[in-house]
Amino acid sequence: MIGILFTIFAPIIGGFVYGFERIIKARMQSRVGPPLLQPFYDFFKLMDKRALMIHSLHALMGIMYFISEWFAFGVLILGHDLLIAVFFHVIAVLALVIGASSVRSPYSVLGGLRELMHMISYEPLMVLMVIAFYVVTGSFNIENILHFDGYPILQLPLVFIAFVLTIPMLLQKSPFDIAEAHQELIGGPEIEYSGPFYEALYTGKWIEYLYVFTFVFLFAGSHYIVGAFLVIGVFLFINLLDNSTARLDFRRMVKFAWALLIPMAALNVILLAL
Amino acid sequence: MGFFSKFRKKSPWILHYNTGGCNGCDIEILAALGPKYDIERFGMLNRGNPKQSDILLVTGPVTKHCKDVLRRLYLEMPEPKVVVAMGACAHGGGIFRDFYHVENGVDNIIPVDVWIPGCAPRVEAVIDGMVEAVEIWQQKTKEKEYMRNHNEVIHKLGVEDDG
Repeated sequence: MIGILFTIFAPIIGGFVYGFERIIKARMQSRVGPPLLQPFYDFFKLMDKRALMIHSLHALMGIMYFISEWFAFGVLILGHDLLIAVFFHVIAVLALVIGASSVRSPYSVLGGLRELMHMISYEPLMVLMVIAFYVVTGSFNIENILHFDGYPILQLPLVFIAFVLTIPMLLQKSPFDIAEAHQELIGGPEIEYSGPFYEALYTGKWIEYLYVFTFVFLFAGSHYIVGAFLVIGVFLFINLLDNSTARLDFRRMVKFAWALLIPMAALNVILLAL
Repeated sequence: MGFFSKFRKKSPWILHYNTGGCNGCDIEILAALGPKYDIERFGMLNRGNPKQSDILLVTGPVTKHCKDVLRRLYLEMPEPKVVVAMGACAHGGGIFRDFYHVENGVDNIIPVDVWIPGCAPRVEAVIDGMVEAVEIWQQKTKEKEYMRNHNEVIHKLGVEDDG
């Protein structure tokens, strides 16, 4: 029941998370920041703009990104296979990349290619993390993980650290906001979207927050309060990291993921499975 | 004026473009974004992307090189949109007036809705101008807006059929 509610109201809850994040970010820079409902004001305002379209496939892929993102979150929270949720997230990002590559703007194409670099970096780790959950709890099903006695995080400390350091890649935060890169690519894949079509990407991003933090929540097993504290701690840590670091090169990101994070997570899984 | 028009004043997104000024105005704009004045309180963001922006904030006297870029930025912004000219240069060339390389202000290229006087304007003046721009923005509709000499420009480029 809670799962269904979460899925239906995912854009609204995600909007609140995003609004809260903007306030936290502003406070970290000693500013006051926008009101909590600011993402919804933006949403309604974008609704009122004249719809400009590059071509229909581009617009469709923007909407496709939103729908697959929502679907991935639904699959994740409604108690299906974790792996399928991960692969639906891949479809969402692929839709974004196809849309970005289908226009002539060099910023958009470059952003799409960089988005693929993001995928190369974090997708193996997501799959490894799901396998790690399987090794610990004996199930790919979220229901069984949420009823698992004990703390998966105690058995998977390295996987947890690797996943926390992957979140900046997933959510386009500094130091790994390489595809979005507001100063050099001005949004990357989202640069050519406007008005109601940009709204789809904007809302998809809110759902991605929920998608990512659900995985963080799973690390506490059936101890929901510990899980909530984990989520809040990771949320604050990610924002602190976002505010205090500069953007890196995409090669550094791929190297960091493949040379450090993935071996770290794999080592943990291998040691556990022995 | 529909249901959604009420939310316009809550989130004006700014596109800032310098057309060859001395950067004094731009520093004031950055100061407005900083901790002391923090215009993000009012939902204003410096987007840097014409397709997602609502207010075009222009500084500088519009050099001949910038002319086409400015025109293009204006046409790329989806309606409803507002143009704000900031600083003495943008009003009519300022210190650069009648030089060989300037177009004597923003109004010679695109229609301007709000003028912010000063050289450079204080941050309070910028915020005041933004508030006025938002008021004008709320009156506007989704209808397509063009430059004053749009037909002439289109004719010169020979692209009448693209419309």
